[in-house]
Amino acid sequence: MNETRHKEWDFTLTVITVALLGSLGVQSFVGTLYIWWATATIPGFEATGHTEFVRWMNVIAAPQVIALVVVMGLCVPKRLFDRTSLVAVSAGMVLVGLFSWAFTGSPQTGLAVYLALSALIQVAVVALTVAGTRGPSYLTEGRLVKTGSGLLHLGFILFALVVIALQRSALMLPIFWIATVITLVGSGLAFYADRLAWRKRVRVDIDRPLAGQ
Amino acid sequence: MTPAEVQAEISQLLRTLAAIGTPIQVLMPAGAAVLLALASVPAWRRLLGPAVTAVAVLLALGEGLLVWFHWRLYETAIVVSPETGRVVGRVAVPLWVESEKLYVWALILALMAVLLRRHREELLPGVAAVLAVLTAGAAVWGRPFTEPLPSFLGQYLGYLQEMASGDPARMMGAYQAMEGARQLYYNTWYMWAHPPALFFAYATFTVAFVATLVMVSRRYSAYETTAYRWIRLGYLPLTAGMLIGFPWAILAWQGESWWWSGKVNMSIMMWLLYTAFLHARLYLRKPGMWRWVAALSILSFLTLLLTYLATYVVPGAHSYL
Repeated sequence: MNETRHKEWDFTLTVITVALLGSLGVQSFVGTLYIWWATATIPGFEATGHTEFVRWMNVIAAPQVIALVVVMGLCVPKRLFDRTSLVAVSAGMVLVGLFSWAFTGSPQTGLAVYLALSALIQVAVVALTVAGTRGPSYLTEGRLVKTGSGLLHLGFILFALVVIALQRSALMLPIFWIATVITLVGSGLAFYADRLAWRKRVRVDIDRPLAGQ
Repeated sequence: MTPAEVQAEISQLLRTLAAIGTPIQVLMPAGAAVLLALASVPAWRRLLGPAVTAVAVLLALGEGLLVWFHWRLYETAIVVSPETGRVVGRVAVPLWVESEKLYVWALILALMAVLLRRHREELLPGVAAVLAVLTAGAAVWGRPFTEPLPSFLGQYLGYLQEMASGDPARMMGAYQAMEGARQLYYNTWYMWAHPPALFFAYATFTVAFVATLVMVSRRYSAYETTAYRWIRLGYLPLTAGMLIGFPWAILAWQGESWWWSGKVNMSIMMWLLYTAFLHARLYLRKPGMWRWVAALSILSFLTLLLTYLATYVVPGAHSYL
């Protein structure tokens, strides 16, 4: 895959991720302001209006969360496949998720299947990264840093799976703890393993004036 | 021990805490004023380092006293089953709740200010100014030595009164409420891990905020790197603290739509913004990207402040209202 196009794809996904995170953040902020205002001005809001507030917040958040999960899923195969295969794999994952949704009538199941597929691919990404093959592509350098990045994203995918599909399952706690440990170990490696990495990391912190940029 | 004896012991404990702690509580705003003065006047800044160390020592001494107070409180605050008359357990009030929250944040920030090395000279005035505000706030609003743990003591002393009433129904009601709070809040391991992890993160983000402001004013990328280093140091405990809250929230807030409560909302928003910062920073070398990164860093910190305040302002789960 062309390196420039790959980076453009990376950048586009990052911008979409940041925009979705920001959008959910704005919704959270507006929701908080509304609760604050409503509790102070609407008599008995806790008893009468809160349920409706929660319903609306869920309705507004749902498409954003779905989009975030989809983008998270799309971030996974980009590490592994060239552009043509990437489009095919991504479209296949989305289709399998949509099919599961249509088949069961439950959007939760659709998302859960989509996340499970993402988790499987991410496990492969991490395994290949640990093995040191040249396949997976990352924005960072150094095998340990890349492994950390792969692990922390796997942890978030598993955590999303817990939140979306496993809250009432006996597997909830074991998978939650696996996700937590993987996320934290991955974050630690991604943030601090550059000192141990066998390949020198590309530095972005060279002291330079920012004026004019 | 009878309820009256327990109450008398707690009263004595509170008197001792106030007697030893009042000088510390008085010195805290004084120390804060000195820090602000030294941070504001460039000619006096050479004294800022020793002043920050002095405030850190003062806060550490106070924390030592609070540890002693909590330990004695743990030994005293027993919960007794009205059915069997036996002690079912003791209340282990964590060191970072209620009147002590701001204090812990100030203490951790003070220790970080003492240990600060990279760009120390440039960052110390800003960090000291924030430390001054936190220290003064901890003394004036928190009053951890003269009015400690108002919510816990209100509940526990109320429980003792009901236990002394002799009315079985009132005794059972008070016991169930106190035992519920003991098992699901005060004594749960989560309360001993979640708040300190978050306050550690808050302190690192405070230093990062100051570094970002210095970067914006001086326009040198090295300050951005410093801000990033502090944010990544705090992002780990922030993520850990928030993640471990999830199974606890499911258990403790059963039946409540806790994920849309103000405090939880603001916390998630803060985490989302710091996550967005870390993603945006991957493209720092793109022209003009530093402005977005700086804006995200500043916005994230402002959200952190709102997150802290939400506990006291916005009702819902995780609120003191």
